[in-house]
Amino acid sequence: MTAVRLREPAHRLSKRAVAQWAVESVIGFVLVVGGTAIAASWIDSSRFSWLPDWLVEHVWWVPIAVGAVLLPFVVIEPVWRYAVHRWELTEDVVYARSGWFSREWVFVPVSRIQTVDKTQGWLERALGLSTLEIRTASHAGSSSIKGLDYDVAARLAEDLAVRAHELRDDAT
Amino acid sequence: MTDAPGPPPRREPLPPDASASAAPPEPGPEPGPESGPGSGSGEAPGSARPYGDAQSNGTGQGAEAGRGAEAADAPAAAGDEEPPVTPAPPGAPMPSGAPGPSASPVPSVPAGVPVPPGVPVPPGVPVPPGAAVPPGTAPPGPGPGRPGQVPPPVRPGAEGAPYLLGLEPPPYAPPERVSSPYGDTPPVFAYPTHRLSPRVLLIDPVRMLPSIFLPLVGVLFFGGFSPVSFGFAALGVFGTVVYAVIRWATFTYQVAGDRLELTRQFISRSVRTIPLERVRGVDVSATPLHRLLGLVVVRIDTGASGEEAQEGELNGVTPDEAERLRGLLLRLAPVPSGAHVARPEEGGEEPVLARAPRAWLRYGPLSGAYLLTPFAVLGSAIGVLYQLTDELGVDREQAFRAYEWVRDNPVLLVCAAVLLVLLMPVAGTIMYAVFNWDFTLRSRGASLVAERGLVTRRSVSLEHRRVRGYEIVDGVLERKAKVVRLWAIVAGLGDSETRGQLLPVAPRRAALAVAELVAGPFTGELLPHPPAALRRRLFRAVAPWLAAALAGLLLRFTPLLAAGVVLALLGVPLGLDRYRQLGHGFDGTRLSVRSGSLRRAQAVVERRAVVGWTLRQTWFQRQSGVVSVIAGVGAGSGGYTALDVDTDQAVAFAAAVTPAWITPFLAPDPPSRP
Repeated sequence: MTAVRLREPAHRLSKRAVAQWAVESVIGFVLVVGGTAIAASWIDSSRFSWLPDWLVEHVWWVPIAVGAVLLPFVVIEPVWRYAVHRWELTEDVVYARSGWFSREWVFVPVSRIQTVDKTQGWLERALGLSTLEIRTASHAGSSSIKGLDYDVAARLAEDLAVRAHELRDDAT
Repeated sequence: MTDAPGPPPRREPLPPDASASAAPPEPGPEPGPESGPGSGSGEAPGSARPYGDAQSNGTGQGAEAGRGAEAADAPAAAGDEEPPVTPAPPGAPMPSGAPGPSASPVPSVPAGVPVPPGVPVPPGVPVPPGAAVPPGTAPPGPGPGRPGQVPPPVRPGAEGAPYLLGLEPPPYAPPERVSSPYGDTPPVFAYPTHRLSPRVLLIDPVRMLPSIFLPLVGVLFFGGFSPVSFGFAALGVFGTVVYAVIRWATFTYQVAGDRLELTRQFISRSVRTIPLERVRGVDVSATPLHRLLGLVVVRIDTGASGEEAQEGELNGVTPDEAERLRGLLLRLAPVPSGAHVARPEEGGEEPVLARAPRAWLRYGPLSGAYLLTPFAVLGSAIGVLYQLTDELGVDREQAFRAYEWVRDNPVLLVCAAVLLVLLMPVAGTIMYAVFNWDFTLRSRGASLVAERGLVTRRSVSLEHRRVRGYEIVDGVLERKAKVVRLWAIVAGLGDSETRGQLLPVAPRRAALAVAELVAGPFTGELLPHPPAALRRRLFRAVAPWLAAALAGLLLRFTPLLAAGVVLALLGVPLGLDRYRQLGHGFDGTRLSVRSGSLRRAQAVVERRAVVGWTLRQTWFQRQSGVVSVIAGVGAGSGGYTALDVDTDQAVAFAAAVTPAWITPFLAPDPPSRP
């Protein structure tokens, strides 16, 4: 197993991003477990004939098992993400790393940036966070950095917009 | 009347945009550099360079002027081309019917009062007869048509100027004196508005005509003529006519300076504005009905990612008008300093880059898609039948009896099925031939034009200078026959598979030759991917089917077990081949990635088209030490992926293509763990 030979981007996200991911994963957890529970209660009441008997008998174990498996990840995901997610802006390139189980490294040259948006969802507003969306002519070359401190994101967006304007290279 | 807040008349405006500065108007008879008469065709100063060949009648000179246009990037270089100054004498022959400021003592600015883009020209501005062409339309068009661009004065004695032959409409509309409540009378370019050809009125009604006969068919077969249904059908046709007339009457389009405006004005008014610099391609096609009426449909690609609202369609203009628009729209697309934009209308010779011989049509069905045509035909036939039975009042009982009859004659059904299967290749070939008949790829001016089709002749134009690479695809059967499909990767054009098609299914060698001609060659080697990639390909090709087989075993469901085992076995060669096809490479100018087996695709993209990189690694890939590298490209499908590259190779690949973007982030030698 060889690690990808790229150094870490310089900056971490805001610590409050952990809270954001935690809330999001709790919501996801509730939705999944709740959905499974609803399905289970439906199967329990309607007594599907084409499911094996042993499954119908113990159908309530399914949401419990799902919950038990997912519960650790509710804690693990935010922490892990906080360790992985990083970003950096150099002279010419925005470099960001994200993911937890999977990883993603994105390099967006400033000269190819077309638009820079900062957006805030309700949760982000509550936490004073912001998402920076950097778009190029290609979706594959575009990137969004979640969980930035609002002020940092604002400054970064401003910086990028100015620099992108200076460096704009219309080869694409 | 709105008046244009342009500069007052008789001032020499410096056009605000960069393109204009490439061809600066040279006011006054300043002596040019000692370039001698040899270099110049005695052009009048201030001739719009990008179209310098407009007024030179010799072809060689045209080429020279073209080169001059390229040099005109630097204002300093512009001077070199300046001929000994013989300013166009006042009253030099102007394009017919273009009086006005050209006769002014300032020779270089004949009509040079720009209308800044964005100045609304009221729809009602009267257009002087015979001057109904915006700048940039006709051969001697003033530069890339930006308002304020200086139209080329004719050099003295240039009787040979092509437009004087009456072949083309005059190049620009003379400024219109508009009296405004503000007292000022700035000249305004009255951009002529155009309508679709009135013949388009016939299309919808003709298309609807058959429906009027349906009740008559009912008379013939069932003896139950119903005047009511006939009345309704007639009403329907009448309604279509009215609708068509309204649609036609309310729709106008105009090329207003640097944009195309499509206006629909009935009660409300909607204007779709397409900046000409956004036009990526012009697609001219004609259905049989259109051909019958001598019309074509012009579609304008803007490269707006799938937003229908950004595209333009002119359904029903004459071929001449389409040709005019094509030249106009494509030529105006942004070119640095307007260089190397040839003039599509002139020159006469349009080098044919490729013409598909008839024999190639037999490769068509190998792609598979056309093999399904019999089923598509059958499907639509059933649909029509269904509608007909409804229309003709066939009742449920009759239908059921027909169904029973079919059911009781299974032999017939089997025969039909066999026939259908036998028809597949035949029908596939026919359909393919109909769509790709006489496929010709031409170079017309600055664009590549691909024409094809037997019944509906379709021609697609692409801007040549926006081509950033090509993609070459073959399926399993096609690979056996050594044929491929080829399309260009065009900056700003997302839908490259249909719009960017460069050849029909063609022998590999011919396709590569065309690709090289159009997009340039890839001279590098494709590097193989590590053994871990092989394991992953095999696992992914085999494991799902093995799991299915296992499930079949557990559930004691033999068909599932059998199917799973068979597919898992087939997965072995598939996985092996998928691995064999993986590759990525960079030759210094272009990068290339290849993947896929049942549909193998190799993309070749210029380095300058890359707009970013994404490296993606799932948890499993991390365990295997591989990573997927996605080169973001502002063209084609947006990103081209090298699957399962060795981690070190992946970083090296990206760093080789765009060192400035990657090397600052390389880890020091002992790789730091993330």
